[in-house]
Amino acid sequence: MSTSTAAAVAAASTPAQPTGAHLGHTSLNIDSLRDLARKELVNVLDSDHGVEKIYHLQPGPLETDCKNLIYICRPQANYMKYIAEHIHTHTKDPHAGPYTYSLFFVPRRTALCEKVLEDEGVFGEITKGEYHLDLIPMEDDVLSLEWDSTFKELYLDQDTTSIYYAAKALMRLQGIYGLFPRILGKGDYSKALCDMMLRMRREMAVDDLDASQTLQLSQNIDSLIIIDRSVDMVTPLCTQLTYEGLIDEIFHIKNSFVEVDASLANPASTNTGAGGSAAAASTAAPGKKKKVPLNGGDKLFGELRDLNFAVVGGLLNKVAKRINADYEERHNAKTVPQIRQFIVKMGGLAAEHQSLRLHTALAEEIMNYTMTDDFNRILEVQQNVVAGIATNKEPEYIEEMINKQVPIVQVLRLLCLYSLVNNGLKPKQFEFFKKEILEAYGFEHIQTLDNLRRLGMLTKQVTTKNTYSLVRRSLSLIVDEVNEHAPNDISYVYSGYAPLSVRLVQCVVQRGKDGARPGPGAGSGGKGSGVAGGNGWKGFEDVLRMLPGRTFDETQRVDDGQPRSSKRANGQPKISLVFFLGGCTFTEISATRFLASQEGGQRDFVICTTQILNGNTLVDSIVQKVPDLHASG
Amino acid sequence: MSPPTADWIQLQDRFYRKQEIYTMLWKQVDLSKYMIAAAPFGGPLALVRDDRKVLLLQKQQPVKPSIYLYTSSGKLMEPIQWDKGRIIGMGWSEAEQLLCMLEDGTVRMYNILGEYTQFSLGKEAKENKVIDVQIWGTGLVALTGSFQLIAVTNFDEPRPLFLANTGINEPPHSWTVIPPKFTLSRHVEVLLAINSTILVVDATEARDERLLEGPFRKMSVSPDGKYLALFTNDGRLWVVSTDFQKNLSEFETKSQVAPQQLVWCGTDSVILYWDKIVLMVGPFGDWIKYPYDEAIFMIPEVDGVRIISSEKCEFLQKVPAVTEDIFKIGSTAPGAMLYDALDHFEKKSPKADENIRSIRLELADAVEACIEAAGHEINHQYQRSLLKAASFGKCFLEIHNADSFVDMCKTLRVLNAVRFYEIGIPLTYTQYQRLTPEALIDRLISRHQYLLAIRICEYLKMRTDRILIHWACSKIKISNDDEDTLCRMVVEKLANKPGLSYSEIAMTALKAGHSTLATKLLDYEPRAGDQVPLLMSMGQDELALVKAIESGDTDLVYHVILYLKRKHQLGEFFRIINNKPLACHLLESYCKQQDPELLKDFYYQDDRRVDSANLSLIESFQQKDLTERTKKLKNSLRLYQEDKEHLFETKAIEESLKLLQIQAQLEKDFNQPFTGLSLSSTVYKLITINQGSRATKVRNDFQMPDKRFWWIKLRALVEIRDWDGVATLAKSKKSPIGYEPFVEECVKAMQYREAAKYILKCDAHLRAGLFLKIEAYQEAGEQAFLQKDLETLKEIRDKCPNALLQGQIDGYITQLASSR
Repeated sequence: MSTSTAAAVAAASTPAQPTGAHLGHTSLNIDSLRDLARKELVNVLDSDHGVEKIYHLQPGPLETDCKNLIYICRPQANYMKYIAEHIHTHTKDPHAGPYTYSLFFVPRRTALCEKVLEDEGVFGEITKGEYHLDLIPMEDDVLSLEWDSTFKELYLDQDTTSIYYAAKALMRLQGIYGLFPRILGKGDYSKALCDMMLRMRREMAVDDLDASQTLQLSQNIDSLIIIDRSVDMVTPLCTQLTYEGLIDEIFHIKNSFVEVDASLANPASTNTGAGGSAAAASTAAPGKKKKVPLNGGDKLFGELRDLNFAVVGGLLNKVAKRINADYEERHNAKTVPQIRQFIVKMGGLAAEHQSLRLHTALAEEIMNYTMTDDFNRILEVQQNVVAGIATNKEPEYIEEMINKQVPIVQVLRLLCLYSLVNNGLKPKQFEFFKKEILEAYGFEHIQTLDNLRRLGMLTKQVTTKNTYSLVRRSLSLIVDEVNEHAPNDISYVYSGYAPLSVRLVQCVVQRGKDGARPGPGAGSGGKGSGVAGGNGWKGFEDVLRMLPGRTFDETQRVDDGQPRSSKRANGQPKISLVFFLGGCTFTEISATRFLASQEGGQRDFVICTTQILNGNTLVDSIVQKVPDLHASG
Repeated sequence: MSPPTADWIQLQDRFYRKQEIYTMLWKQVDLSKYMIAAAPFGGPLALVRDDRKVLLLQKQQPVKPSIYLYTSSGKLMEPIQWDKGRIIGMGWSEAEQLLCMLEDGTVRMYNILGEYTQFSLGKEAKENKVIDVQIWGTGLVALTGSFQLIAVTNFDEPRPLFLANTGINEPPHSWTVIPPKFTLSRHVEVLLAINSTILVVDATEARDERLLEGPFRKMSVSPDGKYLALFTNDGRLWVVSTDFQKNLSEFETKSQVAPQQLVWCGTDSVILYWDKIVLMVGPFGDWIKYPYDEAIFMIPEVDGVRIISSEKCEFLQKVPAVTEDIFKIGSTAPGAMLYDALDHFEKKSPKADENIRSIRLELADAVEACIEAAGHEINHQYQRSLLKAASFGKCFLEIHNADSFVDMCKTLRVLNAVRFYEIGIPLTYTQYQRLTPEALIDRLISRHQYLLAIRICEYLKMRTDRILIHWACSKIKISNDDEDTLCRMVVEKLANKPGLSYSEIAMTALKAGHSTLATKLLDYEPRAGDQVPLLMSMGQDELALVKAIESGDTDLVYHVILYLKRKHQLGEFFRIINNKPLACHLLESYCKQQDPELLKDFYYQDDRRVDSANLSLIESFQQKDLTERTKKLKNSLRLYQEDKEHLFETKAIEESLKLLQIQAQLEKDFNQPFTGLSLSSTVYKLITINQGSRATKVRNDFQMPDKRFWWIKLRALVEIRDWDGVATLAKSKKSPIGYEPFVEECVKAMQYREAAKYILKCDAHLRAGLFLKIEAYQEAGEQAFLQKDLETLKEIRDKCPNALLQGQIDGYITQLASSR
């Protein structure tokens, strides 16, 4: 019986199968999480046995031979409208159909979407279900909700939906891995998330008393540290200088895929080693884009991603030489077993070679970009601003950018950074820049400027007291001597600036018995200090008070009367879960990984985030867009 | 005690047994006069007079028919007064709801207490009438007078689905369905016996299997959906796989009359029933005949067949393998040896020891076999003796996990309790495992057997919440006590259950008209979110919103907001929302996507002028029409003017209006689009279309800063490659932006010669670098030398392609180095 089924998918909600092979190698076994997601996806699709075609959910009519349509999408109003449009076109066409429609919301159905479907008059046509996919394992140590609009929703619209989803997702993690013994955090929304989790745990007793009673403290995870993006708006505005960070800045990594010129990533040319075919391939499809997965499954990328870009070139060179040497081994293979051995090895070599080709090409592109005057001047201004080196040059340069009509996102990114670090712009300066921006980019940006004001990212200075400089000093955010080759502090990721968000994490997990402040070299002193029984934020109260939002430190207990087990489970490292509410950058992920490397195997970090962002995507979500009225006419 | 094998009958190489479970409690029921539907898993029977059968009118016979619901032990549970049209067919759902298919396409779903809900199969069914129906646990297929098949595959959300056109024009000889869970396509498939063949119909097509053996007078699908039993016109029983690929067996019954019932007993034998004759046919053509002297009704179960007669309820099944091993005469299986050993032991015979020794190595298996066999016994004595044997065997094992023993004891206690004739659920061990304890509890609850349900739950350490809630709900429904007494009664019973959800109880109270009781009960609900729906239906709108916000679930908040919006006047709606920040934010967010008009009202009533102004501003940018655009802008301006705090914005919008006017003029003058461009872009564009003087005018109108104007002009001129223009600009007066931009822009346009013109105007220390950029190495070298810039000199030397020049630069370097 031919019952053909098509699935229309929106928002990268399906864990991409071919990219999953790299997962499952850390002390936190995230396989269980993946299995859950996978099984449920099969259930979703299996309701109609086998999918014939997959479409991306887009506006406009859907033309397909399949009669059973399954939609999988985020509960967002615009998607509902697309689906309604599909159904409307189908019903109008007397020859089409009959179709059956199923809609699975990720992670759950909402009243709002149902309202839209009702308004569109298609509510009754669709069988609705849910696909409870929340935290998606991007890497062994990175879980993301991949909820792209979180920053704007949370801080500008003050729509706390993502906090609810985050809480649900964390509860699910606790269901799998056990209760987090300690929850620490900074920021008002962080506190809201923590409170919601605690309340959900109380309510869980209502749903399933047995489950809540059997829920043990986690054996591996000893703490959850929640960092609210509003605590540190400065970091994402800085240009990321790690390899992965720069790829993101330049090409924009979306759901762990990057879209590059097809010629950069043509696997066809790996078969021969000849340069000619690569050139032919690149000329064959000029300007054609190709999606390339970027994750730890690519061993070379795994080595490069967290490094400061300055050292990437050298490393690539070394790898190239090694691969070449490996290839040369074939000449030494004389006997049949030797040849066979080489052949076995060659499969791996080819993959490595392809990876090398891709990263060399990417690095070259990045190099071209980082060599430009514009890039370097922006970087210089950024670094001066963050370091608090006050000259007239910085505002002058921003003015010049406006005059040169560079994209508004770049201007605002730098201007906001300037404002944030200096506790606002001087009144005259403030008026001046606002006027410049409106005149250069259009008056609709009255709204953009209002948005930025509300977010506190672009404000008028009211007091000369600068809290940021105090924070900078007490947490040693600026480190002058950075050795990119053998870094001894997280500041290497921004070539001299330590991201505040990760410094805060460091405050909790790394503290020597002498209470030394985190900073370069601090890791070695505080090695292995436990978080669960540790002092939490103690010793940093003053700094934390200067930062916006509440600070908290909650302990979760199970009521079995037994003392919390302090012994380490089977000698495995303890894990701190770091949740970046409102998103984090690749650089922050790299910095957190660096913290782990300083712990010498005593502690692992698993990073959770609502989404992965960078300065451009962050600012862009705030910028008011208006339609180009001449485009269609 | 008769031997366990007394009721066994051999069929080829296997044994079957027919055991009596109950003597029926009912009196003199002639089953042949009724249409009967029975639920599997020992479920109840529904009887209704079959109007196709002749019945002697008796005096006490009521005029209106009733549906009688009986337990398997024949205890009347509920008579349902029938007041609707003709019943075409009845069946039971998995949730033990009785489904009655009516001629007019209505389907009624009764629970065991006779309360019903109903749905219709739609117009087609109503117009052409339903002539037959097939019902399975989760769905049904109806056959209409026009031979259209209509399926419903989910009783919770019934959605009639038309199956493919059958193309037939007479009723099938017989028909049946394969439920979706057994088909390859996961859709229901209908088998229709037409002429000599069978049509297989699903949602998309009707396929002819091209059989010649028909016509088939009766058919039945095995409990696992794999096989199909067919009864042919010439009295043969034919079994095939449901994909018609495998021929399994054939049997001549020598009967010209089709059987009244054709059912499967488990998956390996088929039972046919003619008036007073039951014939069981095995896979290899062997058969057993059971005579009856009255009408019976057979109910297929997963592991056998329940046979109901007016006198008793029996269960016919294949003897389970473990049971056969133990009890078969002459068996030497370990289990049998162990069972025998216990017998000897009790008789104080030394053979007990001998038996145990002989199965020493398999003793653990023997123990498990006895435990399992105990489960399959209905007779208490055998249960006990088998468990005793297991227990006896355990003593000889050094290591033994007693879990299975304990579990079986518990299970048997539960099974015996529900099998008790007053309860009347003759569940076998196999069925119980399939059904799950949770489902069994649900069945007891729906029969209002609360005490037993709670006892079982407590015994099995399961949660009793559901039972208590259900109890409280039905208590409230039927009670005549005043609300205070009721409330006390309910709360007292539930008090020691922390975390029990009260919202459902409160909802029931509300529906029963006890609104104060509902309010009182709701106070006990621990979950904020769960209070919301009830509070809404109680009209406690504001409280509902507060609780929704408390829950943190934004979707719940939206749910309440949308409800409030529908229910209330706008003013009242805003009043409820206004002092609740989260609700306001969510409303704004929703309106921005869906309902901008509502947003305007919302801002207006809350006097949020800046937001109103910005809204109007953005709207203006979305208008194509100039007058509309201006109108919206002016509206925005008016709103901003009302606020002295926003002088800047006021001015900006005034400027924006002015710009719009100018752009309109420009469009007229040059017949090119200008609106939508920013001020800078307008000026830029004017220059690129060679309207320098207009550009200057616009610039003056807005007092654009010199610096920006110069930049714009420079970039625009470079774009149109007007090098003379660039030169004129550079000469017009002292550049406010310096001359590097001139160089840079020319370099970017790859015009090194042009660039060179401006380098000497730049700051002295920059010149070397700039010359280097345009690959003028000699000049670069000279400038660097003049500046005594050793670093740059070295850089130039490295980049310089000309050996002669390199020498010259080396000269400079030595000169500088020596002068240090």
